[in-house]
Amino acid sequence: MACEPNRVRLLCMLSLTFGFFIVEVVVSRITASLAMLSDSFHMLSDVIALVVALVAVRFAEKTQSTNKNTFGWIRAEVMGALVNAVFLTALCFTIILEAVERFTNPHEIEKPHVVIGVGAAGLLVNLLGLCLFHGHAGGGHGHSHGGGHSHGNKKNKRGKICKSERPNGSSGEESNNLVGSHNSPPNGVNTERHRHEIVRNDSEVHMNGSVVYEDMDHSHDEASLNMRGVFLHVLGDALGSVIVVVNALIFTFVWRPCPPGETCFNPCHSTDHQHVNHTLVDLFVDSNGSSFQRTMVGPCWVLYLDPTLCIIMVGILLYTTYPLLKESALILLQTVPKQIDMHRLNERLLLLDGVLAIHELHIWQLAGSRIIATAHIKCHDPTSYMDVAKRIKDFFHNEGIHATTIQPEFVTVNSESSASLCELSCRTQCAPKLCCGATDKPGVAGTGPAGTEKGPSGEGKALAASAMEVISEIPEGAAGAGASVLEQAAAAVIQVVPRIPEPEVIITREVESSL
Amino acid sequence: MLPLSIKDDEYKPAKFNLLVKISGWFRSILSDKTSRNLFFFLCLNLSFAFVELSYGIWNNSLGLISDSFHMFFDCTALLAGLAASVISRWRSNDSFSYGYVRAEVLAGFVNGLFLIFTAFFIFSEGVERALEPPHVNHDRLLPVSVAGLLVNLVGIFVFQHGGHGHSHGGDEGHGHSHSLFNGNTGHGHSHGGHGHESKHGDGHEHSHGDGHGHSHGGHGHSHEGPHCHDELHMPGKGSSKQILQGVFLHIVADTLGSVGVIISAILMQKYDLMIADPICSMCISILIGVSVVPLLRESIGILMQRTPPSLDNALPECYQRVQQLQGVYNLQEPHFWTLCTDVYIGTLKLLIAPDADCKWILSQTHNIFTQAGVRQLYVQIEVATM
Repeated sequence: MACEPNRVRLLCMLSLTFGFFIVEVVVSRITASLAMLSDSFHMLSDVIALVVALVAVRFAEKTQSTNKNTFGWIRAEVMGALVNAVFLTALCFTIILEAVERFTNPHEIEKPHVVIGVGAAGLLVNLLGLCLFHGHAGGGHGHSHGGGHSHGNKKNKRGKICKSERPNGSSGEESNNLVGSHNSPPNGVNTERHRHEIVRNDSEVHMNGSVVYEDMDHSHDEASLNMRGVFLHVLGDALGSVIVVVNALIFTFVWRPCPPGETCFNPCHSTDHQHVNHTLVDLFVDSNGSSFQRTMVGPCWVLYLDPTLCIIMVGILLYTTYPLLKESALILLQTVPKQIDMHRLNERLLLLDGVLAIHELHIWQLAGSRIIATAHIKCHDPTSYMDVAKRIKDFFHNEGIHATTIQPEFVTVNSESSASLCELSCRTQCAPKLCCGATDKPGVAGTGPAGTEKGPSGEGKALAASAMEVISEIPEGAAGAGASVLEQAAAAVIQVVPRIPEPEVIITREVESSL
Repeated sequence: MLPLSIKDDEYKPAKFNLLVKISGWFRSILSDKTSRNLFFFLCLNLSFAFVELSYGIWNNSLGLISDSFHMFFDCTALLAGLAASVISRWRSNDSFSYGYVRAEVLAGFVNGLFLIFTAFFIFSEGVERALEPPHVNHDRLLPVSVAGLLVNLVGIFVFQHGGHGHSHGGDEGHGHSHSLFNGNTGHGHSHGGHGHESKHGDGHEHSHGDGHGHSHGGHGHSHEGPHCHDELHMPGKGSSKQILQGVFLHIVADTLGSVGVIISAILMQKYDLMIADPICSMCISILIGVSVVPLLRESIGILMQRTPPSLDNALPECYQRVQQLQGVYNLQEPHFWTLCTDVYIGTLKLLIAPDADCKWILSQTHNIFTQAGVRQLYVQIEVATM
């Protein structure tokens, strides 16, 4: 399977790191060096990160839906990336803690030669890991968007075929990410829309995926979120090893240690020690009487080099981890994928034949390039529905969304202008707030469960558009208990929906606004 | 032509927005009881941490300094919970069509991860200390631990009562006794300053507290049950359960930590059992790890778009009922998932006969699933061609 390379790499790196961990533990016992022991725990945390990534990769391969996980286990890779990113952040905090401790109480390195040796070995292992994972993660960074239709960029796609689109077999070719996977905040939708416009003009042809955009890069990017996490972890470790080696080297060559057999004055330690040393030295001076040459221990700044380098390293790590953290968190928060512009999508959807209105449009990303959309579409009548449905599906296909669920709603009898109303509303958290209200205006896709307190304002927004007409739907025969027709002075609140589950046909009546 | 309105919002200088935003956040925090509690407890913890830090610097006690850093670290958990509770109330927009409700689940998950990381860290320190017992300075240990324990107990108590502050009307009736979990995020940990000043040659001063005990007491949330009453109102509020749970575990972990530190300090002073310290830490870290597992499992389930566990039994029955509707041939591709606690969303496809009544089938299906607790449902109709 195409995913094998990933797993093999991970296993390789895992075994290497674990072996090195064992070595470090043994060496630390032999040399009784606690620094080595704590470094070995760092290695252990690396092992854990690799295990997490491996587990995520294994799970993510199971794309079949199961009873409990109807979407399959694909999300596992996003979760793996998030876990790794959080883990890295926590590690950074720990390192900062230790560095600060070192600042307040600097220490010399014991047995620097051993440290150099082990540090160099660790560096080798980490460099090897970097090479192993670089191919995956590197592609995730430098993607050109907009103009970069590197058609031949198939190499990125190859490894990720295992995550190909199951639903409609169009294997994601048509997912045109006109705007490449930029890590711009969701609010950057405006700029993206702009680019969208520009690029749209010369690429109308992408219907059949003839111009395959940087989707490759994008999907590759997404698919390797997990790998990016691993790469960052290994990078952090490599930096750590570099620091250890550099520090030990400088220490060996620059530091003038206390010569054995002589008392020396250590100006670098904290006042307590200094105090102690001082008294000792004074004693010596007194007892010896003659001029006593105090040897000063090596330059103090060497002791502060370690924590400083550590803090720099933490800065670098955090800077590189943040985009990964943000991206995986956004996916898990069910955001609309970056490359999709809801407004334009709505507008273009409305332009289709037979579509009267759209409600409750939700688009979110499952993982990789699998995007899922759901909506209520209002059409004329059931007979024309299948036709419209096909067109809608095609439309979404062109946008790169292949798993869609469209719920039809039918306008009943004699009301042309009631296209705005939701026949089957969500009837739940949106009951107190209007869930779908605008007339032909797109975009008011329900306020969703989040803005509970902001309900009324959401309604207001929706109503501003439909201030002209008041339409009420009353189920025939059913008492007004369910249907609520509210008419307020300010604006017409259209409370859609019969709450009562009657099998009768819903009749729409147009009532002139007489507020 | 007279202008109908003067809308110069977009031309206002940008700097006002920051103040407005911040004051908006404060208002939002103070409006909801849960976030209010979280905020005050966060302030309490932060002030305690600052006091400890300054005391440690003044006395030049490394143990206290590092312990205060640990408190800061735990404050981040509280901060995450607070941020999540504020964020999840934001309105939905173009990029977040479902709104920000998932933030709570994410916060709970991240808190759980941090807890596991902390447990791992403490365990490793315990092991190191067991191998090379450091010289621990006892004097300042006890008072600090006791103070930290008090702070934690305050947290537990506060969150026990007020944590449940959702205006959920009928919630109280649901016998939520545990739910206070939610509030208990306070980890007051006083990780007792193990003031070891001199580690040993290498000077790897680990003085971080191993006292992360967490009593895990509050795991009573068996209350997952659908808050059936009136979800119409604020289903969002029910979902702060996730945050609260994570936060509570954190507080409890800290409390246990303080307790553990106190016990080990006593043991060391009275019986000179140096080994008590690392053993205590290891036990505590294991406890923390074990207690976090349910929280993690739940949030992973939600984030992985798993079928809601509470619907596991109800769904097959609903499928059957739908398939028995007149005109329905088949039900395909059902997907049900949890948006946040108690808010379930589902999609499915129905294959129906050409002459069947679409609207009726749609409304019936909606009713069937609404009774099961699924509020947002998308039913795709496909007419069989015959």
